[in-house]
Amino acid sequence: MLSDQRAMLTKYAYIQTKRLKVLHHFFDERIDYPRDPRFKSAIYDMELIKIFSLIKDENIRFDKEIYITNSHIHLVKTLDEFYLGTKYLIIEVEDSGAWRGEIWKNIIGYGSVAFLFFMLFGLYLAKLFLKPMRDSILLLDRFIKDTTHELNTPLSAILANIEMMDTDVMVEKNKTKLSRINIAAKTVSVLYKDLTYLTLEQEKTNHDEVIDIRELIYDRAEYFSILAQSKHLEYNLELEESTIKIDRRKFTRVIDNLISNAIKYNKRHGTVGIELKQGMLVIWDTGIGMNEESIPFVFDRYIRFNNAEGGFGVGLSIVKKIVDEYHMSIEVKSKEGKGTRMVLKW
Amino acid sequence: MVKTILMAVLLISGFSTHLSSADTYERHCVECHKELPTSLQRMFMRYLLVYGGEENVKAGLKHYLKYPIKEISVMSDLFIDNYGIKKKTRLSDRQIDEALDSYWERFKVIDKLK
Repeated sequence: MLSDQRAMLTKYAYIQTKRLKVLHHFFDERIDYPRDPRFKSAIYDMELIKIFSLIKDENIRFDKEIYITNSHIHLVKTLDEFYLGTKYLIIEVEDSGAWRGEIWKNIIGYGSVAFLFFMLFGLYLAKLFLKPMRDSILLLDRFIKDTTHELNTPLSAILANIEMMDTDVMVEKNKTKLSRINIAAKTVSVLYKDLTYLTLEQEKTNHDEVIDIRELIYDRAEYFSILAQSKHLEYNLELEESTIKIDRRKFTRVIDNLISNAIKYNKRHGTVGIELKQGMLVIWDTGIGMNEESIPFVFDRYIRFNNAEGGFGVGLSIVKKIVDEYHMSIEVKSKEGKGTRMVLKW
Repeated sequence: MVKTILMAVLLISGFSTHLSSADTYERHCVECHKELPTSLQRMFMRYLLVYGGEENVKAGLKHYLKYPIKEISVMSDLFIDNYGIKKKTRLSDRQIDEALDSYWERFKVIDKLK
């Protein structure tokens, strides 16, 4: 390193000073300037006039202590006693550049160690600071897992009994009440299915099969029709024949979430549109929509943009997971107050 | 012809100036220092050791010649105890300068090292 070179040059300067001292005392019986094979030197007086010089680069920088020019390292040493009238002794050595390699080696070596250390330290700190957040997410997950278990039996019983009820013999007032119970039970059912999928079923192995999408959409639209009716929505279905090879359970979650969102965030007397073409499914609504800044976060877990509607904010995160798993793409186009279009391509 | 005469005059005047400054040094310095055991060369080296460059050496010497006191002498105590301090110079500034120029030229280190 240059500091090592400086130490070496200082040593040479010390040696040369001693020789100048001897020559001073024996001048002018001796007039041979002391030479050394290890370095070249020059002497200048306090008026910067050259007394004698052996060095190659004579553009001396008297304001520097050490400097490099033309692949030579120079040390400018100021003498306290002016032997032979010398105020400045200049020592010059060849600069092989080896010290630069040494510096780079040290920078890379120590830099890597420091980088690694700070990275590990940063990781540790990040873990430490994120721990409370992680704990609360785990707690929420555990809570959902525990509660969903207990929801299944009563929910199945409610839905089965609603289906079995004979509405023909029912008075109109009771029919409306039953319809409300049905809507509430189905909303809870979708939520229940999302939560069980998230906590229990997503680890299960896929049973991929060729699905007639049109048939599935008719089935799910029918399932949600009672919810749509409650908001006086109308379906606008343009469904072409289309199939896909996928796990039925997972694809149903995708369709269910997209349709239920289109209903949930729609305006009264609005429209829920479903367009199906080969390789593309579009589900749109005429609802409240979202602002542009919110769109990138729409698939994040536990993110909800409207607290007026119920839910945990897990539906679209499930959709995104499934879509990614099957290498499909989903695009969100939304305008606040106008509605949202979810475009699924595969 | 005129050119030759002019050249001759210039050469003669330059030579005579050189002679006169050398003369001042010879007459007013060398004469007295002959008596002393330390040569003018060694004294010059002492001045050079203390004062460094040409201007400094000449200024230091001129001051000492005009106001010689023990405290500013570059010579050792032993030398001063034995030979004392010189008397104050009676030379004019111009003569001192001439003598010092001569002294510097005779003993300077520059151009002598090999």
